[in-house]
Amino acid sequence: MDLSKLKKRPAFPFETIAVAISFSPRCPLILSEAKRISDILGATLLLLHIGEKNIEKEQELDDMMAKVGLDSNESRVIWMEGEPVDTILKLCKLNIVDLLIIGALEKENLLKFYIGSIARNISRKAKCSVLLLTNPSASEFKFKKFVVNGVENPKTVHTINASIYLAKKLNVKDITIVNEVNVPGMAMAMAEDSTAPEAKEIRKNLTEESEGQIQEIIKNADIGDIKLTSKIIKGKPGFAISKYAKDKKTDLLIINSPDTHLRILDRIFTHDIEFILADLPSNLLIVHSRI
Amino acid sequence: MVKLAHNELIVLLLSISAMLIISRIVAELGKKLKLPVVMGELIVGIILGPTIFGMLNPDFFNYLFPRTGNVPIAMDGIISLSVIMLLFVAGMEVQLSVVLKQGKVAVYTSLFSMVIPFFTGYAVAWFFPEIFSISTEPHAKFLFALFFGTALSISALPVIARILMDMNLFKTNIGMVIIASAMFNDLIGWLIFSFVLSLTNGNKVEHMNIGYTILYIIGFGLFMLTIGKKIIDKTLPWMQTKLSWPGGVLSISLGICLLSAAFTESINIHAILGAFIAGIAFGDSVQLKEQAREIIHQFVTNFFAPLFFVSIGLKVNFIENFDLQIVLIVLILAYVGKVLGAFIGARIGGMSKNHSLAVGFGMNARGAMEIILGTLALNAGLISKPIFVALIIMALITSITSAPLMKRFINK
Repeated sequence: MDLSKLKKRPAFPFETIAVAISFSPRCPLILSEAKRISDILGATLLLLHIGEKNIEKEQELDDMMAKVGLDSNESRVIWMEGEPVDTILKLCKLNIVDLLIIGALEKENLLKFYIGSIARNISRKAKCSVLLLTNPSASEFKFKKFVVNGVENPKTVHTINASIYLAKKLNVKDITIVNEVNVPGMAMAMAEDSTAPEAKEIRKNLTEESEGQIQEIIKNADIGDIKLTSKIIKGKPGFAISKYAKDKKTDLLIINSPDTHLRILDRIFTHDIEFILADLPSNLLIVHSRI
Repeated sequence: MVKLAHNELIVLLLSISAMLIISRIVAELGKKLKLPVVMGELIVGIILGPTIFGMLNPDFFNYLFPRTGNVPIAMDGIISLSVIMLLFVAGMEVQLSVVLKQGKVAVYTSLFSMVIPFFTGYAVAWFFPEIFSISTEPHAKFLFALFFGTALSISALPVIARILMDMNLFKTNIGMVIIASAMFNDLIGWLIFSFVLSLTNGNKVEHMNIGYTILYIIGFGLFMLTIGKKIIDKTLPWMQTKLSWPGGVLSISLGICLLSAAFTESINIHAILGAFIAGIAFGDSVQLKEQAREIIHQFVTNFFAPLFFVSIGLKVNFIENFDLQIVLIVLILAYVGKVLGAFIGARIGGMSKNHSLAVGFGMNARGAMEIILGTLALNAGLISKPIFVALIIMALITSITSAPLMKRFINK
């Protein structure tokens, strides 16, 4: 496997898109969304199914593809048996997939959340960008409003640029970049000997600093006619942006890929992306910047 | 029911108001000199206590702070409540996810800044008990060695947080590593200290089943930080919207703190552990509004904290119990163990030499947490007054020197 091609590959454009086929009732809708997105982006679409290949399934897939207008000569179908998460990720690497599309429930039951469902485990481990569709649609595009995480991280500039690229392609006019301010220990540090103006000044500086970071990233971005706004919110990273996206009824929340390998301990002492995966506020795009 | 007499009530109210007002004035003056608030509070205790005021005017000292009757009993109740509240707010700032999020550098720094001072303290106390005039009876020596190791390994999150805020390092990588490591040190330190206290009863050492004690402590901690925290997460939004604001969340959170403290006390683990763990469960909740957190902090830090820290000076004569040899040994061990431990951890975690030293000196601030630990150990009969005085001096000196020493290395 030549991974050198993957390492230097930019986060976007999404030239190769893969969609995971599970034959669930929502599968035709997910396939339909994947086709529309790949058509708009001019990408090659790969269909991945992890499981036994038999005549019934092949027939079912052919019917599904025909229903959504997919030409079997243009879209390659890969069948492979094995452990679903690792096999899908391996296939994505082998085929230099830029974006993997999968269907996901908004919320898993408690046990499944801790053990980890296929969609969520792929989100935690993937080495390519992942789009989790919670409400796939057969007919109209749902993406009208993006919320992007503007967290202070070297990956963020790639995530914001990927969001702008996607917004232009999907004709989305409204992007809000959200930065979460959470300073553990600050309430304690200020409780003893800060006067009211001092405390106000400290909070103001923190907000301005976060705002400045976002402005620094977007100042050179070519946004065209997109309305790009920034928002600073207080709260725990992951949870605060998830709540914001839900409250604002966003269509797509866009975040960085995780910085570390996430384990069950990260779900017990939930933080960052795990808050979002615990209860998906909308469709979710995890941008893997491959840096 | 026993009640305070008319005169006793007046004395109690006068003593509390003197402690609060004078400590605030001194703390504000100290702030101008960039000294920690806790230092002002301790100085007020020393001035009002037997060290100065008791020597100059023994009659008035005995009137304001009587040692017999109902007033000291009432005061002891308030001080016990204060220490429980202080541990509750200390727990409220511990976020285990922050340690996980900071990755290997925080994990290594936390571990080494805990393990090296712990074993340094333990080894010195075990092999040279005569330095501290400790009994050579194995169990008592074991408990003291455990305590001394813990006392050297603990950090003071409130002081560290303040230093980082003043140096504008809160959101930097160094700042987050220090905060995460201090959180981890505090958690493990208080767990070990609760274990030590549970094996001690006053001056008498109880040979309680160690296995059960460890099991209780771990079981309680795990329950509160998983299931307990989930329950708090589910009920907090209701509390914050349906009950009076902020009174509802304030009374219920403090009530749960006391309930948890009562539970741990009832199973022979000290009440402080219950309060500390309840604090973590509450403070780590994503649902806790920042305003509620601030109100709890303000209430505890500005009412209970001064009473507790002033009361320390009232109990101990700092001049009589000052032992230069013990003070120097404690100071040297504290600096060497903590700075070296954090330095090694940060270096292994991938930080530069100078930044690792900055982390070491940042973590070295012991502040209020060390003072609380020392006071509880003194009350439990684990340590003598000269060791207590040495720990207080160490807590103050490490806190005052932390920021200037950090500055020397941070920009190199």
